[in-house]
Amino acid sequence: MSRIDELLSEFGEIVISPRKQLDKYLSQGKKAIGCFPYYVPEEIVYAADMVPFGIWGQTGGTINAAKEYFAAFYCTIAQLNLEMGLKGTLDGLSGVIASPMCDTLRPFTQNFRVACPQFPFVFLAHPQNRRPGYGVDFTMAQYTNVKDKLEEIGGKPISDESLKNAIKVYNDSRASRRNFVKLAAKHPELVNATQRSAILKSAYFTLKSEHTVLLNELNALLEKAPVVEWKGIKIVTSGIVLDSPSLLEIITKNNMAIVADDVAHESRAIRIDAPENEENPMKALALQFAAQDYDTLLYDPEINKRPGYIVDKVKESGAQGVVIMMMQFCDPEEMEFPSLKKGLEEAGIPYVKIGIDQQMTDFGQARTSLQAFSDMLSMQK
Amino acid sequence: MEKIYTMGIDIGSTASKCIILKDGKDIISKSLIEVGAGTTGPTRAIKAVLDECNLSKEDMSYILATGYGRNSIDWIDSEMSELSCHAKAAYFLFPNVRTVIDIGGQDAKVLCISDKGMLTNFAMNDKCAAGTGRFLDVMARVLEVKLDDLESLSAESTKVVNISSTCTVFAESEVISQLASNSNICDIVRGIHKSVAGRVAGLAKRVGIEDDIVMTGGVAKNKGVVIALEEELGKKIYVSPLAHYAGALGAAIFAYQKSQK
Amino acid sequence: MLENEKVPAKLKLRAVADQVYKNAWDAKKRGELVGWSSSKFPAEIAETLGLAVCYPENQAAAISAKHGGQRMCEHAEAMGYDNDICGYARINLAYAAGHEAEEKPMPQPDFVLCCNNICNCMTKWYENIARIRNIPLIMIDVPYNNTVEVDDHHVAYIRGQFDDAIKQLEKISGRTWDEKKFEQVCANSNRTAKAWLKVCSYCQYKPSPFSGFDLFNHMAVVVTARCKVEAAEAFEALAQELEQNLKDGKSTWKYAETHRIMFEGIPCWPQLQALFKPLKEKGINTTAVVYAPAFGFVYNNMDEMMKAYCKAPNSVCLETGVEWREGICRENKVDGILVHYNRSCKPWSGYMPEMQRRFRKDLDVPVVGFDGDQADPRNFSEAQYNTRVEGLFEVMEEYTARKGGDHNE
Repeated sequence: MSRIDELLSEFGEIVISPRKQLDKYLSQGKKAIGCFPYYVPEEIVYAADMVPFGIWGQTGGTINAAKEYFAAFYCTIAQLNLEMGLKGTLDGLSGVIASPMCDTLRPFTQNFRVACPQFPFVFLAHPQNRRPGYGVDFTMAQYTNVKDKLEEIGGKPISDESLKNAIKVYNDSRASRRNFVKLAAKHPELVNATQRSAILKSAYFTLKSEHTVLLNELNALLEKAPVVEWKGIKIVTSGIVLDSPSLLEIITKNNMAIVADDVAHESRAIRIDAPENEENPMKALALQFAAQDYDTLLYDPEINKRPGYIVDKVKESGAQGVVIMMMQFCDPEEMEFPSLKKGLEEAGIPYVKIGIDQQMTDFGQARTSLQAFSDMLSMQK
Repeated sequence: MEKIYTMGIDIGSTASKCIILKDGKDIISKSLIEVGAGTTGPTRAIKAVLDECNLSKEDMSYILATGYGRNSIDWIDSEMSELSCHAKAAYFLFPNVRTVIDIGGQDAKVLCISDKGMLTNFAMNDKCAAGTGRFLDVMARVLEVKLDDLESLSAESTKVVNISSTCTVFAESEVISQLASNSNICDIVRGIHKSVAGRVAGLAKRVGIEDDIVMTGGVAKNKGVVIALEEELGKKIYVSPLAHYAGALGAAIFAYQKSQK
Repeated sequence: MLENEKVPAKLKLRAVADQVYKNAWDAKKRGELVGWSSSKFPAEIAETLGLAVCYPENQAAAISAKHGGQRMCEHAEAMGYDNDICGYARINLAYAAGHEAEEKPMPQPDFVLCCNNICNCMTKWYENIARIRNIPLIMIDVPYNNTVEVDDHHVAYIRGQFDDAIKQLEKISGRTWDEKKFEQVCANSNRTAKAWLKVCSYCQYKPSPFSGFDLFNHMAVVVTARCKVEAAEAFEALAQELEQNLKDGKSTWKYAETHRIMFEGIPCWPQLQALFKPLKEKGINTTAVVYAPAFGFVYNNMDEMMKAYCKAPNSVCLETGVEWREGICRENKVDGILVHYNRSCKPWSGYMPEMQRRFRKDLDVPVVGFDGDQADPRNFSEAQYNTRVEGLFEVMEEYTARKGGDHNE
């Protein structure tokens, strides 16, 4: 096995069992904090010397107990997060941080808080008017709240120094992951969709400092690898989460390489760094959030930037089309689809929209759609 | 001249269909078995289509499968999505086609075709059974009529009884209410057709419709649905007697093209 | 004076609601800017600047009540908006894109005012309107609150946006802010809110001097015209009528009042008759609706005003939501609760299962849910609704028998 394959395998192992990772950290005497979507400042958890665990539902999970809290028409990510809380899958976490960023997450925060009181609950409401001074102040106030609660849970104060250090670690990690996304695009013959997903997803279950060490090694190897012409199709993916082994396999089987993504769980989460030249680390984190953009979850003060941003992404990455993995019942993604559709059509970029949810076991329709899309793009080459 | 025979196999969710094509243009044999993926349907359909023209598998230059169960046969030459196959068949049957609407057992699809017969865009139904053959199955059962009778029943209708629910379960209870209040069964069936047409028209409008519009798939045999869809879209819809075989036909045509490479 | 007294309050209220649309059309004709606003955007701002504003939610309710909801939803779906999205948003986006709605015409907007206290969907809905019409959007973001109290940070954040909104609107309209006018507008708004709460308070009497379903209609005025003196006057007139009803032993509820319920959620506008039918047949009067306290915007200063705008049914924490409802259930002596699981409203329906459990436990009354939709007629089943109401009735009868009580007449 080449060193690249060894590394890919290691990342793959992590995502197969987040539980193993959690147990590993717990046995080291560390505490872990569950971070539900979206934009939770993991830096603060890291600075508290605890391990942030990003929890974005459970692909292949089944909703049962959560039905006592949610009717059927809710995003499976939120329902499965609640399900895991109720079933004991999240046991071991010392607390959770949750944000009410969409209309499902608003009731989710309340339902989880009252249904799973065994987890100290840290509520975090981001401002949508995040850029003006009063918005930054509000973010700082909310983040300070998070910090206070984490100090309580961790049992010790969080110093400015440790926050600054955490910011540096996270900036390095994000840079490393962004670099990886570019390198994976250059070498789809070495890193397929499944492996690419594992590298990005594994970051949610690993201390960033550890993840970056491995990833930098992989990046260096990819950098040195000889360029091979990719005979297949190049696509940009878009959506909330794309970690389903079946879907990723179908993408690979159809000779499609993901050369860039607009996925909340992936590139949207690593786009923006926190300014390291800002004296006050809490302010730095607030400024980081203020700079977030191009996300269906976020208010766009310029009203219609996202389609152009994705069109540029397609052009810059050399992709031939966009695969939109539409999370069923996701209001923000659904509301932003017509504008995205219009932007892609005006730019002459082919796209396909595929409805998914985390409970899916039959991928027949997705298989057909992706195959037809791949055929279509091949014939257009 | 050597004749080239190719076979197209369409293994759907509710039916298995085969077509044998000579030289990529003459249909010399076809078969249809009313059970699909995971049953004896595919095997029986393949045997039937070969028996009808007295040929064997070995006589085929290329065999291509499509449909939900296309990956279930390991001795075929290759497979393609039913989207591409339906597009291919529609273009073969109607060279001026630009939009194909296929309502199958579990799916509804809308395909956009270029003037060269290439698939340029498509959409499939989301989330549920409404607007598919399954919806009609459920309703036929509730009304205690045969699926094949739906067409003639709605032809007798004098007014529309609206079935407004998009949810199949709710629609079922609406139909039962209508029966209980002695609404004319012909009018109810027309309402059911209108409901399916409404759903599918919605899907079509999202993708954009352009003349000529062709309907393929099993549900196209039901003229009541075709008429309802024409009313919803305000456009003429062309249906071939081979509509139910479109997937298999397209597969056989692709098989021919591949055999020539 | 006598002329006025002869006009029943409900007609006065209707006139006030109609005037909102008329003002907007007149403004358009005069070449003035007209805005669209979300129902809980601080109405005081546009009112102070003398700008005519219409409310898409109100228009969507009217369109769907007049059975135009499906048509408009289908237009929106053809544009690419999923049928999973709120029905009000779909109807309105179709309208913004130019699809006509004879059921309730409204002038197209020159600016949009968005406050997302009631839901996150608002944010993207209004962004979409701004895109379709190519007009400015003013956003007052009210983050969801996890605590009963509204803290100073929330107040400061909302105040900052409020002040910015004024500046933005001044720029867009070319008009200048008048602090004195603002004070008067706030006074009107408070007066209307108090009058509204007074009207709602008549539900506490047994038997009730009015049919609770009336509130669903009257609500339009508190949504679209709360800064107008005429709105306050109309509600005060209604309160007087109800007072008179009380004295005379009369009611707008023309049936036996065998049971009293809280109707939880937005009503199914396309099916109001169907909702009402089994209730009137079984003598079940609705004497509690969450809209009552939800629109009681009473405040004495700016800080309190900011806090008031933080209190929408979907922006308060679970405990506050439960307290509101249990409060009105107790005050208004309900013996059952009917919960509308509104397919169009994810935030609202998302709390209901847990709230249902708490209602049962805390109030010891039967609670029944049904599936429906505020605006999309395709998500309702009359058969299901009737069965559920029957079930609720039977259990309420049992509770009454168990408690050895008599039916209230």
